[in-house]
Amino acid sequence: MPLKKRSPQWPWQGLLVLILVGMAAGLWFATQRVHYEWRWERVPQYFLYQADEPQVAPAAGTVQAIHGDGATRTVDIAPATGGAPLQVTVASSSLQVKVGDTVAADDDIGTTPHWRIGPLTQGLWITIWLSFVSGFIGLIIGLITGLCRLSPNPTLRGLAVLYIELIRGTPLLVQIFIFYFFIGTVLNLDRIVAGVGALALFAGAYIAEIVRAGIQSIPRGQSEAARSLGMSSTETMLHIVLPQAFKRVLPPLAGQFISLIKDSSLVSVIAITDLTKSGREIITSSFATFEIWFTVALLYLLVTSVLSQLLFWLERRFARSD
Amino acid sequence: MIEVKHLVKIFTSRNQVVRAVDDVSTAIAKGEVVVVIGPSGSGKSTFLRCLNGLEEFDDGQVIIDGIDIAGSKTNLNAVRREVGMVFQHFNLFPHKTVLENVTLAQRVVRKRKAAEAHDKAMALLSKVGIAEKAQQYPSRLSGGQQQRVAIARALAMDPKVMLFDEPTSALDPEMVGEVLDVMQQLAREGMTMAVVTHEMGFAREVAHRVLFMDAGRILEDASPAQFFTAPREPRAQTFLKQVL
Ligand SMILES: Nc1ncnc2c1ncn2[C@@H]1O[C@H](COP(=O)(O)OP(=O)(O)OP(=O)(O)O)[C@@H](O)[C@H]1O
Ligand SMILES: [Mg+2]
Repeated sequence: MPLKKRSPQWPWQGLLVLILVGMAAGLWFATQRVHYEWRWERVPQYFLYQADEPQVAPAAGTVQAIHGDGATRTVDIAPATGGAPLQVTVASSSLQVKVGDTVAADDDIGTTPHWRIGPLTQGLWITIWLSFVSGFIGLIIGLITGLCRLSPNPTLRGLAVLYIELIRGTPLLVQIFIFYFFIGTVLNLDRIVAGVGALALFAGAYIAEIVRAGIQSIPRGQSEAARSLGMSSTETMLHIVLPQAFKRVLPPLAGQFISLIKDSSLVSVIAITDLTKSGREIITSSFATFEIWFTVALLYLLVTSVLSQLLFWLERRFARSD
Repeated sequence: MIEVKHLVKIFTSRNQVVRAVDDVSTAIAKGEVVVVIGPSGSGKSTFLRCLNGLEEFDDGQVIIDGIDIAGSKTNLNAVRREVGMVFQHFNLFPHKTVLENVTLAQRVVRKRKAAEAHDKAMALLSKVGIAEKAQQYPSRLSGGQQQRVAIARALAMDPKVMLFDEPTSALDPEMVGEVLDVMQQLAREGMTMAVVTHEMGFAREVAHRVLFMDAGRILEDASPAQFFTAPREPRAQTFLKQVL
């Protein structure tokens, strides 16, 4: 008789499915009660849409001929000043001229459709690079501050502690306002620079603590062995301590970067059109409030899960030597 | 090769003052093998760690090959290159392969070319009998193998002196021999060695001199023959009765 009895898993999995279905049904009933009309079909256009770009006559003249059939038409315009006919291609349905018409320069001939990036895609892109840039700068700040925090020099240590405590003790939203309205005004900073700066400083303080803990988790014997071989303290840090610490700080660092992506939504308060701000702007014109917020949430989820997969993969690569 | 004059190391921790090394003076000649023995907490490790400046001592002088290691113009890193150290818990670099463990300091500190460092490392790994493990990570090696790599790592710097702090204490009994063999061979080749150990057999056979420490002082400094047959100090007599 084995000590460990294997109880069947399926009743619990069934229960899980039941609960999820129940929650979905609850949501549906809730929206029924407020008479919400779902318009999911409105969402895709905010990612990518087709816009009609007007095509105009390049010069004054007469329409000499129109050829082509199907989707597009090519219009030959004989310029009033003489010379070879000029050609304009437009969508068939938008054609506004007939053969023999006289046109002035810049008169509408028709339009051609063009694919355009929608505001959601643009906002997503802003969010991604804003997080990436501020994460990268935050990493550098965090590394330097973390090292200062462990420095034997009291001035460096004091500065590092002060910075970390100031940032960790105040809300990010307030920091963003201070950065934008105070520092930004004094130094005449662009709102994007202010946003990146505030996020980087914020992340840097947390990363500094992660770095410090990582370095302190490396046994003393490691640096003693390196020093006894004649390595300087910098060489020891570079070749022995930091590589080992890096492996250990990857999981908390991943968490910090994921937080940063989510926290970056706060820069929408200083009118940076990130994903969150885009969502808000779209809602004012589309009235698809629920759909847009769900989509925005999904997009954040997408970015954060891609990032955590990436770091998970990195972590596995570093686990080689265990 | 090593001169120690009135060495003092005091640890102060939470209203407790420990004179771990208390006015120790001695000298180790070139090619000499000196074994340091004594009860736990007698300051053997601290004494050894003062010799390469891993421990900042409070008073006295340590002179290695004519250089005062606490001198204001001394580059401690340059001194440490010449003094190899082997630790009780090996302290291999876990993120580097065995080969990289042995080549790293050669490259970084001695500025040797990759090929030269590699050849030197492989020669030393063969010498300590683990050349076939060169590409492994330390975690895959047994304790005895790890300690032999640690010895090779120290030797790769071409040290003038080797310090051993209980190199076999963390090993399973069946692995002690392989490490002691390597140390014995080193001694035969004329390496200057200071060894803290509880291996009395090694002390008796390999050492030229035995230092007995207790409470931070060297109480007895004698040849192994004399120390093991007729120790003068009563505390050395008690200690020997306990360990033999
Ligand atoms: N970092 C430290 N801080 C405070 N006290 C210390 C420190 N290192 C050693 N000591 C104290 O100094 C004394 C000597 O320690 P040391 O490690 O040199 O003894 P040891 O002879 O090597 O002992 P063992 O045989 O157990 O290794 C001990 O009383 C110990 O408690
Ligand atoms: Mg000891």
